[in-house]
Amino acid sequence: MVEIALSAQKLRKAFGAHIVLDDVDIDIARGSIVGLLGPNGSGKSTLLNVLTGFIAMDAGQVALGDQAIGALPASEIARRGLLRTFQLPRMPTRMSVREVLLAAERSDAGIFAALVGRSLRASARTDELLEQLLLSRVADQPASAISGGQKKLLSIAAALANGPDILCLDEPTAGVHPNLRGGIVTLLKQANAQGVTLLIVEHDMAFVRNLCQRCVVLDRGELIADCPPAELADHPRVVEAYLGRAAARRVATSPEKPPVKVPAEVRV
Amino acid sequence: MFEFSLHVATIAALYGLLALSLNLQTGFAGLVNFGQIALFGCGTYGAALAFNNQFGPVVGLLLGLVLVSLVALFFARLGRSLGSDYWGIATLAIGQILLTIATNETWLTGGAQGISGLPQLFTGSTRLQGHLILFSVTLALLAATWWLFHRLTQSKFGLSLRLMREEPQFAASLGYDLDGLRRSAMLVAAVPAALSGFLFAHYMTFVGPDQLFSTETFVVWTMVVIGGLGSHAGVVVGAILTQMLFAAVPFAKDFFALPSEYVAAMRLTLIGGGLLGFLLLRPQGLIPEKVGSIRG
Amino acid sequence: MVQFLVDLLLRAGDIALVAVALSAGYSLVKFPNIAIVQYATIGPFLAYLIARSGIPFALAVAAACLFVGVLAVALNLLVFERLLKSGSAIAMIGSLAVGMLFTATLLVTAGPDTRHFDFAITALFDVFGSNVTLTQMISLAMSLTAFILLALLLFCTDIGRCMRATAANPNLARATGIDARLVVRVIIFLSGMLAALGGTGIAIKSELNILLGPDLMLPVFAAAILGGLGNPIGAIFGALVISFAETLAAAINFGPLVGQSFLFIPVNYIAAASFLILVVALLFRPYGLFVNEVKRV
Repeated sequence: MVEIALSAQKLRKAFGAHIVLDDVDIDIARGSIVGLLGPNGSGKSTLLNVLTGFIAMDAGQVALGDQAIGALPASEIARRGLLRTFQLPRMPTRMSVREVLLAAERSDAGIFAALVGRSLRASARTDELLEQLLLSRVADQPASAISGGQKKLLSIAAALANGPDILCLDEPTAGVHPNLRGGIVTLLKQANAQGVTLLIVEHDMAFVRNLCQRCVVLDRGELIADCPPAELADHPRVVEAYLGRAAARRVATSPEKPPVKVPAEVRV
Repeated sequence: MFEFSLHVATIAALYGLLALSLNLQTGFAGLVNFGQIALFGCGTYGAALAFNNQFGPVVGLLLGLVLVSLVALFFARLGRSLGSDYWGIATLAIGQILLTIATNETWLTGGAQGISGLPQLFTGSTRLQGHLILFSVTLALLAATWWLFHRLTQSKFGLSLRLMREEPQFAASLGYDLDGLRRSAMLVAAVPAALSGFLFAHYMTFVGPDQLFSTETFVVWTMVVIGGLGSHAGVVVGAILTQMLFAAVPFAKDFFALPSEYVAAMRLTLIGGGLLGFLLLRPQGLIPEKVGSIRG
Repeated sequence: MVQFLVDLLLRAGDIALVAVALSAGYSLVKFPNIAIVQYATIGPFLAYLIARSGIPFALAVAAACLFVGVLAVALNLLVFERLLKSGSAIAMIGSLAVGMLFTATLLVTAGPDTRHFDFAITALFDVFGSNVTLTQMISLAMSLTAFILLALLLFCTDIGRCMRATAANPNLARATGIDARLVVRVIIFLSGMLAALGGTGIAIKSELNILLGPDLMLPVFAAAILGGLGNPIGAIFGALVISFAETLAAAINFGPLVGQSFLFIPVNYIAAASFLILVVALLFRPYGLFVNEVKRV
């Protein structure tokens, strides 16, 4: 019996007359790494926003373990262990990278802790973490001044600071310099090894094949596939969503290897 | 001349408290409070109402703290759904509503005449001695508030306020309850503002609505912007500088033999010009906020 | 009843012009410009000054409005656009500082005294049984003309279309070849003119002193926020709502409710009515009566 870390039922969200999520059901097993795929505008980011409470859903239920979290505010959902990162993380101008990393860990953040002296002690841990993230060199610079890839790295590390159960990532490697991608993959694998369940929106198929055991694919607000990454290229509805109906027919009718291949970077 | 200098120094210290308070809200938590003087007014009217009803200063102090907590919580509640500029307008409006009440509920507040005859808190062998003690107490309170706020802002709590100020959504995504942070920041910042009002009321022995005009809020704003948003030392320096300039205005008027409306105009020019000049030419203020000073 | 409607319309006309000016400015330069209410003070002072030199009233008002329009454009260019880079709250504080400098200038040049525009004819007109003065008629006519011209400009001309496009999406508008900077200048110029005209309308009906602008501030902000900041037509509705509340509060006799023959709300509290509406609006409908909150991530 697989333990379910996060489950969503009949999620529905419309912006005006435009239905973005159409009765989406999704279950995510504890400790797994799930890729969330789909063409641009298919509702991936909205799904992430709804799951993590950043957008109110119109209907449906979300449960974290056995607790219903559908109606909770985003910060409360985060405190219960479901965290997220943003596609384009925005970082403070008047805080250093080190300060952001320190602020990310919420323990002792109250006034009382500040007064009785359980405030910030010099910790080798922060230095270690900065070292591991290859951010030591920029540790004392304003967090807004580092590169986009470094911001993604920093935001993932920030989200991991409180030991989440589940982390949802919105395109963690898109636009990231290849040198930093390895660092992000290592960070995510390490977190997963420590028991963090990951739900990753990603376009880079190499990344998905490398990391994910399972993929769910959204198209126009509907869940159209749920399979291991290797089977995606043979899935008629996935091919249709990305490449159109004609290509999908060819996949469906040809018994042997399909003539069309889903490219490494699918972005329609 | 000594008495005059002591007066200026006392007023500067009282405004220093207000500046530290506004700086914690705006400089650290990003809460653009245009109703700061209402927090001060809770202190002055707490003292005055207690006196008017034959209670001692201790009751006045407590009453002021209760009033200021309520106002601070209401301000924080308003901040839930508002952007910082809208919130500024809302706090300004609340300040005006409280001012209207203070002016019109004559049975309670003495109306436009206010309430006078409040006793001095400290009576030495001479009036001057009493004022000296009051100045010392105010100075001690200023130092204590400065130390406390420095400690708060160097802690995790301060970091979380700054994260909320800069990137509220990021802060929420990390699990910070922004409503709670706003509430804590407002409550902590409100206390020195009310204490300043309480001491001011007993020092001036008079409390009236004309002490609560929104211009006074902007005086505090000028101090904070000149000193440097997010810098405790800066805003105290800003308060001292601004008060010294204000103190010089009457002398300048006499020296140049100007009519009396020039005094008001010069004050406005100092506030407006100081604000605008610093915002345009040195937005970080005289003593800028230190980024990266917390090294954990 | 007719008197009530007349009072309502007059008050709405006063608030609406300045509120429309505020909202129109906000639609392109995204911060609440507090200095707008000072434009409404400077306008009538200039008109008064010019009219005193023997120039006909209408010409004097036109010249004053033109001047304030130019002043608004200059300030926007030199001060507000620079401050806006540090955020809307900073720009708002800057506009407050500009407002204080204006008050200081007026204190030194014009002084704190109250002035009156002198009109030769102060006859009362009988409109369906209620008394209306000539100045009230002129003021109302000025407001209505300004609104009609503004609506025509916004909805029936090319420049109006460009303005609405730029307000909706400045980047897209720029990409389609609209000169966004020119559009901003035109709108800011118009908002300065409207504010000056609104202030003049108030001054000719009652009196002119340096408190005219500051007193307008909260009713005008309340009207503009009720209508949704950035929505000039909404601001007119906002002004109607605020004036309705104010006029109603002033006209109702609460005496019978508490067993007295007469009990009216004190005049000072009527002014506070608009502040209260503002706070309530901000609590429950912060983005105006006509907009549902859209949460963006």
